[in-house]
Amino acid sequence: MYKRVFFHALLSGALAAIAGIVYYRIYFFATEADFSKVLNPFSITGMSVFVCMIASFIYFGLVKWLNEKGEIIFNFLFSVISFACVMVPISLSLPLDIKFPELFPGLAVPMVFFPALAWMTVRPLFGRK
Amino acid sequence: MKKIFYPLAGLALIVTSAFTVIAAQDWKIADTYSVKFEGGDPSGEFRGLQGTINFDPADLASSKFVTSIDINTINTGNGMKNTHAKSPKWFDAEKYPLIKFTSSSISKAASGYEAKGILEMHGVQKEITIPFTFDNNTFAGSIEVNRMEYNVNTAEPDHGAQKFKVSISVPVTK
Repeated sequence: MYKRVFFHALLSGALAAIAGIVYYRIYFFATEADFSKVLNPFSITGMSVFVCMIASFIYFGLVKWLNEKGEIIFNFLFSVISFACVMVPISLSLPLDIKFPELFPGLAVPMVFFPALAWMTVRPLFGRK
Repeated sequence: MKKIFYPLAGLALIVTSAFTVIAAQDWKIADTYSVKFEGGDPSGEFRGLQGTINFDPADLASSKFVTSIDINTINTGNGMKNTHAKSPKWFDAEKYPLIKFTSSSISKAASGYEAKGILEMHGVQKEITIPFTFDNNTFAGSIEVNRMEYNVNTAEPDHGAQKFKVSISVPVTK
């Protein structure tokens, strides 16, 4: 039962990681700002998979408990939590040896939406039940 | 004329050589300096330290510090906080771009030295004493600064810390 949700989460995490790494490279190319000490392809992949795996358990629990309404509530929750997480990179204090900290939100803020975006993008591939 | 030429030349050499002695006591600030402030949240550092350091442990009477820090180089590690710190509400970097310290006297202390002088910040001048050491061509010292005494965002006394420990480490070269 959970197997389908697991692969959904895994694929979402991989897709979010790819999007994050591509954006990371584009952002570095555009600004030359190096934030690799706090955000790099390794941490982007880890965070993407971690978030999607956590989401998979919440999704599984909600669908099991509330059936069809579970998915509606899950999507709503995932979007709202992603939006609230915008505050994390904005309020984060970076190590002082990192230059241009004011450019960090421009890199990290879009990334907080990638797991939710990837999850909803691949959702049709995993059927209704 | 010949009689006074050599005395004049001797005098000129004395004056010129005196300037070279003073110049030898001038120190250049190395790029590896650090001016850090700690107050919980926010904490950070300034990068724009400039000035002239004239220091001779054997001649403290003629030693003098004239230094300034560019407010625009503040770094708390957070872009939003950096922008706020420079705004009119806090340091007002446009109106008061520099924090200045000019020593009036330097004396020997129990451990190291003490520099008395005027600290000017946010348009307010206050006399302070900075205890410091000078080892291996590095000046090191720390002071406590209360932002309220310098009228820095007095409207919000509880917004962030009021007292900051400022730690200064300035390696110098001749």
